[in-house]
Amino acid sequence: MMMMNQNQQGSTQNIASSVDPNSVENRYVVDASQSQASSYFPSTTGSGAVSWVTHGVNNQSTENGNLSNASYHHEQHTESHVKSLQDGLNATSLTSSSNLGTTNVAQDYSGYTSYPNSSDPYAYGSTAYPGYYSSYQQQPNHSYPQPVGAYQNSGAPYQPISSFQNSGSYVGPASYSATYYSPGDYQTAGGYPSSGYSHQTTSWNEGNYTNYTSHQYSNYTSDTSGAYSSGTAPATSLQYQQQYKQWADYYSQTEVSCAPGTENLSVASTSNQVLQPPGVTAGYPTAHSQPAPIYHQSWQQDSSSSHVSSLQPAATSNGSHDSYWKHGTPSFQNRQVSPVQPHYSKPLEQKTSYNNFQDQHKAACPQGPSSQYAIGQQMAPSYQSPPVQTSPQLDNRRVSKLQIPTNPRIASNLALGLPKTDKDSSTANAAAKPAYIGVSLAKSNEKVVSHADSRVEPGTFPKSLCGYVERALARCKGDAEIAASQAVMGEIIKKANSDGTLFSRDWDVEPLFPKPTTEAVTKDLPTSTPLSALSKNKRSPSRRTKSRWEPLPEEKPIDKLASSTNEIVKFSGWIHANEKDRKHISGSVSKEDRLNNIKFHLSEQKSASKSFQRPVKRQRLSADGFKTEDNGDASSDSDKEQSLTSYYSGAIALANSPEERMRRENRSKRFDRGQGNRSETNRFKGKNAGTGNLYVRRASALLISKSFDDGGSRAVEDIDWDALTVKGTCQEIEKRYLRLTSAPDPSTVRPEEVLEKALQMVQNSQKNYLYKCDQLKSIRQDLTVQRIRNQLTAKVYETHARLAIENGDLPEYNQCQSQLKILYAEGIEGCCMEFSAYHLLCVILHSNNKRELLSLMSRLSDKAKQDKAVKHALAVRAAVSSGNYIMFFRLYKTAPNLNTCLMDLYVEKMRFKAVSCMSRSYRPTVPVSYVAQVLGFTGVSPTNEECEERDSDGLEECVEWLKAHGASLVTDANGEVQLDAKASSSTLFMPEPEDAVSHGDANLAVNDFLARASSQPS
Amino acid sequence: MAYMSMGEAHRRITDYLNRFSDAVSSQDVVSLKQLLSFSSNSPSLLSLADSLNVFQDANRLIKQSDNYSPFADITVPLFRSLQHYRTGNLVDAYLAFEKSANAFIQEFRNWESAWALEALYVIAYEIRVLAERADRELASNGKSPEKLKAAGSFLMKVFGVLAGKGSKRVGALYLTCQLFKIYFKLGTVHLCRSVIRSIETARIFDFEEFPKRDKVTYMYYTGRLEVFNENFPAADQKLSYALINCNPQSEANIRMILKYLIPVKLSIGILPKDWLLEKYNLVEYSNIVQALRRGDLRLLRHALEEHEDQFLRSGVYLVLEKLELQVYQRLFKKIYIIQKQKDPSKAHQMKLDVIVKALKWLEMDMDVDEVECIVAILIHKNLVKGYFAHKSKVVVLSKQDPFPKLNGKPVNS
Repeated sequence: MMMMNQNQQGSTQNIASSVDPNSVENRYVVDASQSQASSYFPSTTGSGAVSWVTHGVNNQSTENGNLSNASYHHEQHTESHVKSLQDGLNATSLTSSSNLGTTNVAQDYSGYTSYPNSSDPYAYGSTAYPGYYSSYQQQPNHSYPQPVGAYQNSGAPYQPISSFQNSGSYVGPASYSATYYSPGDYQTAGGYPSSGYSHQTTSWNEGNYTNYTSHQYSNYTSDTSGAYSSGTAPATSLQYQQQYKQWADYYSQTEVSCAPGTENLSVASTSNQVLQPPGVTAGYPTAHSQPAPIYHQSWQQDSSSSHVSSLQPAATSNGSHDSYWKHGTPSFQNRQVSPVQPHYSKPLEQKTSYNNFQDQHKAACPQGPSSQYAIGQQMAPSYQSPPVQTSPQLDNRRVSKLQIPTNPRIASNLALGLPKTDKDSSTANAAAKPAYIGVSLAKSNEKVVSHADSRVEPGTFPKSLCGYVERALARCKGDAEIAASQAVMGEIIKKANSDGTLFSRDWDVEPLFPKPTTEAVTKDLPTSTPLSALSKNKRSPSRRTKSRWEPLPEEKPIDKLASSTNEIVKFSGWIHANEKDRKHISGSVSKEDRLNNIKFHLSEQKSASKSFQRPVKRQRLSADGFKTEDNGDASSDSDKEQSLTSYYSGAIALANSPEERMRRENRSKRFDRGQGNRSETNRFKGKNAGTGNLYVRRASALLISKSFDDGGSRAVEDIDWDALTVKGTCQEIEKRYLRLTSAPDPSTVRPEEVLEKALQMVQNSQKNYLYKCDQLKSIRQDLTVQRIRNQLTAKVYETHARLAIENGDLPEYNQCQSQLKILYAEGIEGCCMEFSAYHLLCVILHSNNKRELLSLMSRLSDKAKQDKAVKHALAVRAAVSSGNYIMFFRLYKTAPNLNTCLMDLYVEKMRFKAVSCMSRSYRPTVPVSYVAQVLGFTGVSPTNEECEERDSDGLEECVEWLKAHGASLVTDANGEVQLDAKASSSTLFMPEPEDAVSHGDANLAVNDFLARASSQPS
Repeated sequence: MAYMSMGEAHRRITDYLNRFSDAVSSQDVVSLKQLLSFSSNSPSLLSLADSLNVFQDANRLIKQSDNYSPFADITVPLFRSLQHYRTGNLVDAYLAFEKSANAFIQEFRNWESAWALEALYVIAYEIRVLAERADRELASNGKSPEKLKAAGSFLMKVFGVLAGKGSKRVGALYLTCQLFKIYFKLGTVHLCRSVIRSIETARIFDFEEFPKRDKVTYMYYTGRLEVFNENFPAADQKLSYALINCNPQSEANIRMILKYLIPVKLSIGILPKDWLLEKYNLVEYSNIVQALRRGDLRLLRHALEEHEDQFLRSGVYLVLEKLELQVYQRLFKKIYIIQKQKDPSKAHQMKLDVIVKALKWLEMDMDVDEVECIVAILIHKNLVKGYFAHKSKVVVLSKQDPFPKLNGKPVNS
């Protein structure tokens, strides 16, 4: 194994130097493998590194091995890449290539850049993605025969992986890892990965290409120059970030441009998937890892062939990527460190290693699958449980995710060449969940085993986390992770070169685990790691199955950093996704398909829409225990999140300057000791968002604000509330009111000018109260959302309050009144007096709260007391408090503004009091005409015929009213109706109001309200 | 402040800490009280504050000593609070004091006996006063004053520690009174309800066993609450209890009680002597009493107008306003007496015109309808016995006791 490793390393080095794409892959692989190796083989760091390298080599070799043609391709690719690199992008990289680390980086970069170029030579469609795909397909086909065995093997492990996915939300992570790893995997795949990369890069290039390259380069170069371990880690992280960006781009691209972008994406995803599987397999035996890559490749091919499928995988991969990132970051650091060195040391002999690998793979594949499986299965239970909880879970999840996406592809691939794969695929396809689960267990076990041996998990972490890795890496590097990784490295070497290769692949898969592993490593470094990891794994799986939501307390601490970073990514991703989703998803079926596919893969029934909406909560939860999210079912949920994350990551990547990194690290540290992942994540998110764009910021702020509910101290100061303020763009004057259940969408919010028009429209409208109320509410909402507080705001509330008073809608009036009170207190001009009169009347007539009345009165200014309306209100108060009905109804007749309307609501009570009083005091009778006059049924002083006419009506009304209240009426000799006071005094009663409703508020009786509202002249 | 040497500062601090730990260990509540009473502005505390400014490392001093460290949770924030207090930074002083008080409560909870009750009183008092001053500071800085509210919730917690437990329960009423003060100041008197319920429904502990001063305070505040509710008999009973049990030497307290008791007594028809109003400087009521005696509606209205702000703030305005009906009654009675002097046989028939004239003479511009309404209300409220004949516009008074006295009963509402 050591030899193999060395060979592999050598090969990797060679590859790195010679083939940019390969080198890139190697890096990834190496990183992953390193971390894994470190954890796995603590004893010999150097060896571990070697093993890592070997892993990387293995992958490459596997690629080669898998496809002799492929290997050719690889070589060619590498050469071409190198050339291209040299020619174009990365003269530096080439030069640096002398330095293994630097060279690797450069190669990677160059590889990316070169890939497209190289692809041309390959005859893929050089620039054309489709061409790539085709080439990929072709290549895979070629390779297929060879790899078949490996594929099968890989397929088996994959299935387990998938099962893992089922258990949790691993799917997402897997895809991540796949994408991340994809570079590494690609290498193994040979032309495939590179092509996939190129596709990605190309697509990305559109968006973030420059950024990517620059970032990678800067980071890589610096990192590599300093020290491979450290340097690589950052570099990887950078790469990852870039990848993330790419992913994000992919998303966007896919969303926007279905065919090309999606294809590319799908390819990339497939490649990623492939990579992941390898990683998984790597965890198992090297052979597995190799086969896995092959499978992936095949899948990729399939995917490439079928755009839709490819798209789906891509989506899945994205989701998985997110998780990967999170998970991976910590581990990445570790991995990178250890592996890098070995890789460097072992340049030369790529071919040999390849051959060996291939041979091994081939040999291992046939045998491996079964044996590995068995082993893996056997191992699985214990391993899974013991290995780092987070890492194994993550890996599993990742794997499962990867598998899931790949399943369709695999199936196709299988159909193409491999029975085993077919089976796997078929199972996956048919009963994806169950099959996956069962298989996944085995796979996971295998992985675990390998991991346990070689710290597969750590390796995986690095990849996924790359973007985040920076932070995570910083921590990991400093800590025991490195040491652990070294120790693991030794172990890894011991276990097997083949395993090492597997590890490398696993690493890709594993990246998700990295943090746990790192932590576990740090904790477990002493060899106890496997056990602890196993136990942890066991726990974690169960948790996963139980629920996504469950935060894993144990895992949390470990994952804090990673989770935090992950969360950030997710957040950003979410934000992006949301925005994009709105635009793209709604429109594009392809997305939905993808989502569905993803979901299917995940076997999670959660609907995309749900996942979209819920993301925040989930994120939080996941944030708590990053791994929890993995557990989850999170995968389905996290799909969108992941996609969002990818977007975010893009933004983040942009902001990934060294300083920014430092800042983040500091922040993350600050959070580490504190409460935990959530806060950290939140802050991260916030800051990241800040660096990113408005949307991001807003989203982060929203998230933060939401997270506040969870309790605990948040970094409130990190919220830029101003950034959250929406600036409306909607030009529609009319808008229905809809209570917001999410962040406001600027496109549906009207700016102030439009709101002004809307207000005028409502004021001039002839429609009924219900309509106006609805419109005013929507205006109020838009004002609130945009934080507009000025005279317009006061005007709107005043308008609404008046309208509510006119229609006797006291609840609505009270809402407006309380707002107006605040607005007036802020010094905003309005009809302050009018409304303080209303307020007084309201308190006097409708609340019977003496203390409130007192405080209201004591707060009235002298000026207010001189106001006509206020004076009137005070007079009403006096009349009511003394029971002076004469005064009351006089005031009722002379009320200014809408005071009458408020008094209206009290008239019934006042009349009843008055009649009770009269029937008690008057003897023997009172003329009803007098009663009608003093109680406001008729005019105070009839002066003309018209008035008399009205008075006769009023008299009738009064008679009716008196009868309805149980008064006894008599007609005297003159034919005048009299109220028999004595008789009435004992028979008066207050009838049940006709519009009474069981809940006491007539305004809540919809039908009645509608009838009334519509009958209003408005 | 003169320069204080480091050694001197150190000596004073350790002296304080020694006294604190001694007081706790010997359960000497008297000296403990002195150590906590900021608002006493005692020279020893002030010099301690200066010492703390000179000797910055008091915290280490506390934590290093086995004698002091058990009370570090109390003394460390207490020192900080004292320093802020000394420099006039009352908001921070409050915050630190609350922290210290919190730690003290924890300790207090663990002490089985209630020996430290007096110290707890001091803390409750200090925290309220500090909060009030901190709020003033906040308000002057344009910030929202919220510390008193915080103090309220803190004291509610302390109340929870005391209520229900045997020997400590006796302190519950003090806390209740402090809470009343806060709630009345904040205008959130509805919060009093829960505290009152806890005091009045817990029959385990007889109300009479509480300290007298707490009982008086409690009755004063609950009496005021009854005034708000216009529940005059209950208000009369509670405020009278407070008045009777109040220390006759503390005239300010008596005045506060009378401020509410007098309107209550007026509304149940009991008028105070002039000397009482003068003695306790409650002359704002004198015109009102005068108006009631004379049936002078104009005087009543003027008096109400004159002291409107004051009455509104103290919350008796609405109570006094309701005296108007009694003034009408008095006026009618006077008319009745005059009529009786002229023609006893027709005295019980009072023409509406006469009443209107009388009111005109009082410069009350009321037309016949309004007066008729007033008459109807008076009859309805049983301030006048009789009936009103609408056709002839005559009030027909009962021949027996046409103007019944209230005799301690409120006007029918």
